[in-house]
Amino acid sequence: MVNSRVGTRLLQSLIRPIPRTRLLSTPNLPTPRNASSSSSTPTPQPSSQTRHTSTWRDMAENDITKYLRQTHNRVFEHNKAWAADKKAKDPEFFAKLSAGQNPEYLWIGCSDSRIPAEQITGLEPGDAFVHRNIANLVCNTDLNVMSVIAYAVAHLKVKHIVVCGHYGCGGVKAAMTAKDLGILNPWLRNIRDVYRLHERELDVIADETARYDRLVELNVLEQCRNVIKSASVQQSYAKNKFPIVHGWVFGFHDGLLKDLEIDFEAMLREIQKIYNLTEN
Amino acid sequence: MDPLIPTAYETEDSFLYALSSNAAWAGYKAHQNPKFFPIWLGCSDSRCPETTLLGLQPGDVFVHRNIANLVCATDINTAAVIEYAVAHLRVAHVVLCGHTACGGAIAALGGQRVGGVLDTWLAPLRGLVVGHEAELAELPMDEGGGDGSGSGAGARVRRLVELNVKAGVDVLMANVVVTEAVRERGLQVHGCLFDLASGRVRDLGVGTSAGKGVNGVRGGVVRGKHAELVFRGGGGATMAAR
Ligand SMILES: [Zn+2]
Ligand SMILES: [Zn+2]
Repeated sequence: MVNSRVGTRLLQSLIRPIPRTRLLSTPNLPTPRNASSSSSTPTPQPSSQTRHTSTWRDMAENDITKYLRQTHNRVFEHNKAWAADKKAKDPEFFAKLSAGQNPEYLWIGCSDSRIPAEQITGLEPGDAFVHRNIANLVCNTDLNVMSVIAYAVAHLKVKHIVVCGHYGCGGVKAAMTAKDLGILNPWLRNIRDVYRLHERELDVIADETARYDRLVELNVLEQCRNVIKSASVQQSYAKNKFPIVHGWVFGFHDGLLKDLEIDFEAMLREIQKIYNLTEN
Repeated sequence: MDPLIPTAYETEDSFLYALSSNAAWAGYKAHQNPKFFPIWLGCSDSRCPETTLLGLQPGDVFVHRNIANLVCATDINTAAVIEYAVAHLRVAHVVLCGHTACGGAIAALGGQRVGGVLDTWLAPLRGLVVGHEAELAELPMDEGGGDGSGSGAGARVRRLVELNVKAGVDVLMANVVVTEAVRERGLQVHGCLFDLASGRVRDLGVGTSAGKGVNGVRGGVVRGKHAELVFRGGGGATMAAR
């Protein structure tokens, strides 16, 4: 059973607010609060984002290295526990993985290190086929991303395609810089084109951060449109009623995903007036 | 219950963990120091989530994933990612990772037309098949020695994936941005293979570590501890797990 609400329901199940007490008491939380007290490493209080940040700015290079090592140890402890837990729950976990993949999702996201698809969504290995590039772009002439879409749709038969951008995207910012960036020029040009398409709306947003945030959203919408323009998506949808395309934006300041609530059917109808590739 | 939904509920804890660690790492990001994190070039395959198999957390690794982890000099998508990570973020390591039973390698060995844009994308893999025809023909396609209809878990696919990683590392080493960073600030380039059946990552001893092992770490690297391979390199970035 596939409908456009499934992705939304997954999303809703993920964006329930987290009680702060629970968040702070998470035993695996990799903050230096549990670090050895004899350490000279400053211990920023995670309850205050601002204080956190300013403390970090004051840290000496040496202290950061030490902090990162301690933090990393905890990360590995968590990973070990995760792997052991996986094996305890399902001894065949890795054997099954090597037998084949049957993902329900194709994730197209930004390369940015802060947006790991699996962890944001809680999806497990085997659940999502993943493509990540600078500023989550889907360009018609890019064989790289177009191959990913074709393979995911025609061969893996994914049910959902998620294009996920994020606020504060460095790629989007770089694209709007009045500077020659070499090999990045042809790639980032696509974002300038998105700006031009929505010039009137964007120009009147006085606040710079708000304007970039809106450009990030508009970029995701445009890339969703580009996904739908592909022959594989149009042909599969005509035949199977899937995949459904979703546009999401992640905010790493609050850890929440925003669903741009694309009307997939309407967007498909709209683009097919000109970009119809249903017949093969 | 809809079969798509349980995944979300079952992993609520890991999601909460991701969010909480995300908040904790905000400090790390505020003091963004990319010499501590690598760029990961891997396959889009759903079974190879880099953060999970490396034991890393949000903020640790810059990522590009495509079909069969191909690195082609004229692919602007990959080139833009490399430029951004190496020249602008100044990462300390580039890790190119292939994996066993890769669908792209299996398709390239199959010799059949895959359809649409995929045949063009897979052309470099087919080039490797042509160039190593005799060597590959001697290896079994499947574990039982079958002829290609199975899961592709055999040595022929594995060998093609290895050849592909090596070829990709050569392309990386020939990238002018990478070449300059290797020369000027000791950027390290690694090629490795993720074995789906064991969860282990193996260093293929190519790239900047060719011939000398990766900082003395050789052979099978246990999952999670793989980060050693990535982090114990030059520049004093000693983020070893032990
Ligand atoms: Zn971004
Ligand atoms: Zn693969």
